[in-house]
Amino acid sequence: MKVIVARLALLALVLAAWQLLPSRGLVNPLLLPPLGDVLQMLGELVQRAQVREALAVSAAEVLLAFLIAVPLGALLGVLIAEHDYLGEVFKPALFVVFAIPKSIFLPLFILVLGVSFQQKVAYAAFTTTFVVLMSAAAAVESVKQDYLLVARSYGATQLQLVTRVYVPSMLPLLLETLRISMIFNFTGVLIAEMYASRTGIGHLIASWGENFQMKQLFAGVILLAAAAILFNETLRWMEHRVSTWRA
Amino acid sequence: MSAAIEVEGLSHVYGGTVPALEDISLRVPAGRFTVIVGPSGCGKTSLLMMLAGLRTQTRGAITCLGKPIPQPDPERVGVIFQEASLYPWLTSLENIEFPLSLRGTPKGEMRRRAEAMLELVGLTGFGGRYPHELSGGMKQRVSIARGLVQDPPVLLMDEPFAALDEQTRMTMGHELLRIWSTTSKTVVFITHSLTEAVYLADEVLVMSARPGRIIDRITIDLPRPRTYEMMATDVFGRLRDRIWRQIRKAD
Repeated sequence: MKVIVARLALLALVLAAWQLLPSRGLVNPLLLPPLGDVLQMLGELVQRAQVREALAVSAAEVLLAFLIAVPLGALLGVLIAEHDYLGEVFKPALFVVFAIPKSIFLPLFILVLGVSFQQKVAYAAFTTTFVVLMSAAAAVESVKQDYLLVARSYGATQLQLVTRVYVPSMLPLLLETLRISMIFNFTGVLIAEMYASRTGIGHLIASWGENFQMKQLFAGVILLAAAAILFNETLRWMEHRVSTWRA
Repeated sequence: MSAAIEVEGLSHVYGGTVPALEDISLRVPAGRFTVIVGPSGCGKTSLLMMLAGLRTQTRGAITCLGKPIPQPDPERVGVIFQEASLYPWLTSLENIEFPLSLRGTPKGEMRRRAEAMLELVGLTGFGGRYPHELSGGMKQRVSIARGLVQDPPVLLMDEPFAALDEQTRMTMGHELLRIWSTTSKTVVFITHSLTEAVYLADEVLVMSARPGRIIDRITIDLPRPRTYEMMATDVFGRLRDRIWRQIRKAD
């Protein structure tokens, strides 16, 4: 209880400072507009057709990249974890490639696919697939051999091994994978949009920044932060519900 | 007495080169309690896995209740593993129901049989607990109940109490004998503890270091029911010493 009060107090303090410091002139309001002004701008922005269209484009890119990267990464991850030979061959290479910052490949994507919707999706899916692949492989390897042996001794079929042992055993890790992969996916789309784009919320935020439109810039930041936090917390709640046994 | 398990000239070679088991022959009469002891790595667990149909031997024949056992057959053989093999995402009742649910037993019957097992192992009222909410001894009771729920005539136990502290281990051994005397199962039990071996067994088989062979068969003719007081007797001590000398030779 005490902790919750302290947390709320911290939040109130930050928000109050954001309002008061610029409005009293302690911080240059041109650089940090007061919170009230930013929220008012946010209200205006979400009414604008241009902003709505940009949000729709970005959402479509994020969703499509997610739908490509998660099954692809999961499939490859399970393959290298389950198949000894493929694992031996590909794992070292994947670990090395995993360490490379994926953003340095962005110009390559633009050269091949142009500044386009497909290029954003492809780049975001590319960055996300690696994360899903690594986590899925770790999830498969986390299933204890004893659990499988027990089920086999009770006559479980191959299908039952998957549905009754692998899936429940991996579920908490899988949800965590979804959560983390969405963070990478979202980041991938935004970076691609901010780097070179004609539409999308990342493009709008980048151009507001270049044109020194600080109210719009901060309103955009709040909007994206809210969307990301909402998704993350929903999955964290689900994760918690299925992992009570992981005490 | 008819044999529940018969092994004839069984040998096993790992990966084509490493001999693991050599010319094992044994006979476990129905309803008897047989304990296998031997140094670490002598292949006792491999042997048990073969008796369960979970692994295939290189040579030799295994007959279980008159038929070979090329793959797991839970109707004939129940396997009880160490406590850590309970599924942490299932409650204790659901863990016990697990073998039944694999063969699509109706829900009502499953629940009834699992609760009867829970009562047999003395855990009535703990069905809704998850494994992490139970003590080591309680987890092992659930594990035994899970092995018994399909009522297989043969029970194979692979060092089931190895992870327990000494007191809990003794209590569980005693419990196991109580359950065994009410169910008349054939039991093959693997352990490292010589005291446990003498306390539980009708017959103790001693295995040598790799490649594992059976180097001694010791009949334990202590009366049943066994009591803790018997452990302090000369007969008990002599039997334990005999096994110990054999194992030292074997190592």
